[in-house]
Amino acid sequence: MTRDTLDRTLKILAVLTVFTLPLWVTNPSYLQILILLFWYAYLTTSWNLVGGWAGVLPLGHSAYIGIGAYTSTILAVNYGISPWFGMIAGGVIAAIVGVIIGVPTLKLRGAYFALSTMAFGEGLRVFVENTDRLGSCVLNGPRGICIPLSNSFWNFQFMDKAPYYYIILIMLAIALFITWHMSRIRIGYYLNAGGEEPEAAQALGVNVAKYKVIAMAISCFMTALAGTFYAQLALYFYPKAILGLDLSFEIAFIALIGGRGTLAGPVLGALILRPVSEFSRIYLSSVLPGLHLVIYGLILILVMIFQPRGIQEPLTRFYKWFLDKVTVSRG
Amino acid sequence: MDTILQGIVNGTLIGSIYGLAALGLTLIFGVIKVINFAHGSCLMVGMYAAYWAVKLLGIHPYLAMVIVVPALFFFGYLMQDIVIKPVLKAQSDVREPTEVIIVTTGVWYILDNVTLMIFGAEYRVIQTSISGKIFELGDLIISKPKFYGFIATIVVSLALVWFLKYTKMGKSIRAASLDREAASLMGINQYRVYNIAFGIGTAIMGVVGCALIPFYYVFPTVGVIFDVKCFIIVVLGGLGSIPGALIGGVIVGLIESMGAQFMTSTWTELIVYVVFLAVLFVKPAGLFGSKLDW
Amino acid sequence: MAAILEVKNVSKHFGGLKAVDQVSLTINKGEIFGLIGPNGAGKSTLFNCVAGYYKPTMGDVFFKGEKITGVKPWNICKKKIGRTFQLVKPFKMKTVLYNTMVGAYARSAKPAEVRDMALAVLEELRLADEKDTLAKNLTIADRKRLEIARAMATDPELLLLDECMAGLRPNEVDEIIEILQGIRSRGVTIFVIEHIMRAIMALSDRIAVLQFGEKIMEGTPKEVSQDDRVIKAYLGESYVIAGN
Repeated sequence: MTRDTLDRTLKILAVLTVFTLPLWVTNPSYLQILILLFWYAYLTTSWNLVGGWAGVLPLGHSAYIGIGAYTSTILAVNYGISPWFGMIAGGVIAAIVGVIIGVPTLKLRGAYFALSTMAFGEGLRVFVENTDRLGSCVLNGPRGICIPLSNSFWNFQFMDKAPYYYIILIMLAIALFITWHMSRIRIGYYLNAGGEEPEAAQALGVNVAKYKVIAMAISCFMTALAGTFYAQLALYFYPKAILGLDLSFEIAFIALIGGRGTLAGPVLGALILRPVSEFSRIYLSSVLPGLHLVIYGLILILVMIFQPRGIQEPLTRFYKWFLDKVTVSRG
Repeated sequence: MDTILQGIVNGTLIGSIYGLAALGLTLIFGVIKVINFAHGSCLMVGMYAAYWAVKLLGIHPYLAMVIVVPALFFFGYLMQDIVIKPVLKAQSDVREPTEVIIVTTGVWYILDNVTLMIFGAEYRVIQTSISGKIFELGDLIISKPKFYGFIATIVVSLALVWFLKYTKMGKSIRAASLDREAASLMGINQYRVYNIAFGIGTAIMGVVGCALIPFYYVFPTVGVIFDVKCFIIVVLGGLGSIPGALIGGVIVGLIESMGAQFMTSTWTELIVYVVFLAVLFVKPAGLFGSKLDW
Repeated sequence: MAAILEVKNVSKHFGGLKAVDQVSLTINKGEIFGLIGPNGAGKSTLFNCVAGYYKPTMGDVFFKGEKITGVKPWNICKKKIGRTFQLVKPFKMKTVLYNTMVGAYARSAKPAEVRDMALAVLEELRLADEKDTLAKNLTIADRKRLEIARAMATDPELLLLDECMAGLRPNEVDEIIEILQGIRSRGVTIFVIEHIMRAIMALSDRIAVLQFGEKIMEGTPKEVSQDDRVIKAYLGESYVIAGN
């Protein structure tokens, strides 16, 4: 077997495994874990479009998750509009909001953008937590919203976990495809160039701020879709769960630890960081509250110091080494 | 009328203390071009240090500054030297290394949760000789500890400006803030300068900690409240601007205290965000910020 | 000969400092025009005024008869003016080809076309062998050439070169002179700031001299090298050394 065929075989096997997982993983709580894992991978891939490729650090992306969840839910509960359409509406609103936030801040130094997005995210959480009604729409403040049960594809509700699994998997695949495609065309080159050396990029015809705003719009749109997905998966959500610093930060951390600005980084980051944080929370918090966050903090620091380009780098190197090793020893 | 005047006085006093907290953050940004996300946690450390100094040694909280401020200086100095320097070195050609935000967030998580593990989650409050004491100026009631905090802000700010303008170290710090490369060519050891600037920024949080302890609760995540406030204040005032930090602090303090007379505190919090976003649109670089560096 | 770039009474002040003071220049199509002057004379500032990085305090810049004062850098590029930076700014984590393709995307949105254009430019700049090297791993000489390659990939009619030979060895300087002459022979006008006298004398058709932000003279290399004011103001020692 040559190196290329082995590489291809392994990749096809991986894709097949991922697509057939619900056939063997029948326990719904395990499937739920997998769904949330892909959910994070999808969110981080969306974040990566602006946080990775455009070289800025958005720290308020949970705001767009919230916009997505609330928009589609309000449209469904109050006006009977299918969440599938509400999802798109939420995405459009999130994109518009992202542009409004991005236009003044993306021209400035990176720190302004990071802090402004963070403040916007917090501001939105405070607003939602203090709003019981918005016109005729019920938000229920900190108590959140319950979505009435009515299982059907049209209502984006399923008895089983498996459909959710496939939906988020397809969303992730599309997000990865968009990222991959963008990296090969003009916008990808311009985002990279503008992120790394804005002045040089401008001399080469790149309106850096404009491309960053475009990236922001796409990223916010995609992020909002995940909000609707979460709402339909949980059928109950409240501000603390989908808005606020913790979630915004977690997305950024997964990207940075996985490797920002790369295709595989967000997925690898979610695959590794999510289980670590989940299991350490479950098993360590009973022993010593706070210990899991100390470990999390240590991981952040160590990765940033020793692997600033994320764990995708050594993992890719290891994979290549593995391919070489196996093919050489065989032939 | 009286309540409005009272609100202005209260807002200015507490706001100046916020401003002092933001001063450390803006100094660090001005020099090193990084945002210290562990800034609030440094304040938390300062507050615990002050708390235990008062509790164990039985000294006056302001006297505790003699111990707490140098301790926080070294704490900040070492944090920059051990944790942040390696990242800066690896990213030496990047103008504004955002990785530092992540590293300092790691420090934030560690500090808050180690504190939680050691001292537990309970809110601690200490009765000091000036807790709850007031001045009365006609109908006006002025909280003594807040007033002294205001004085501390003025003293520390003036001292900082003097230090930056007239001492050799201060001049080195300003030179390094303008141009990393040029400063190191001129024989300034930039990383030592960074350590000291970071130390000073953190030491200021020691002052804030001692000023807060007579009237504020101490708990492991108290820093988070101040973190977000400080971020808003420095962006409002303009990153790297000393007057911007102080005035931004007073603005936030005024909104909180004036708003408190008309609505619940969560809504005043929201007004702070709205004002913040409004300033961002009208004057994106902040009230005193320039697009260039100081 | 038709003028391609006209700088009319351009001034740029920073606070009280007159970095560029009432400078006028006319550069003809197909010409190599040199700009020299001591450090801090305002050469790079003048470039930045032409390339849209600074808006002149006073005066105007015309390109092919069209006023371009205050046009943003990326739109200047689209009008077919390319520039390099004195301190090279490669996209370090990307390959040489990637760097050059960023420039070529100014002319086409089709990846295959852009790649071909970039490869052609790299061939011209003698960087084709390095196309897969990460920019951060290049030598200084290669980085300088990459800087020119990226600007050339935007297919400019006027190329602004800011000290693209500083810090290079004599044989590397010769190579760049050769390359630039090749570029000129294709009809590209070149406006070049340079400290290496040998290079600028060999390359330029005409030279302007800046001092303290003012243009103190303009002429052929021969005229400039024999002008007393210039020799006193600037050339003196360095010219003698270069002449040896």
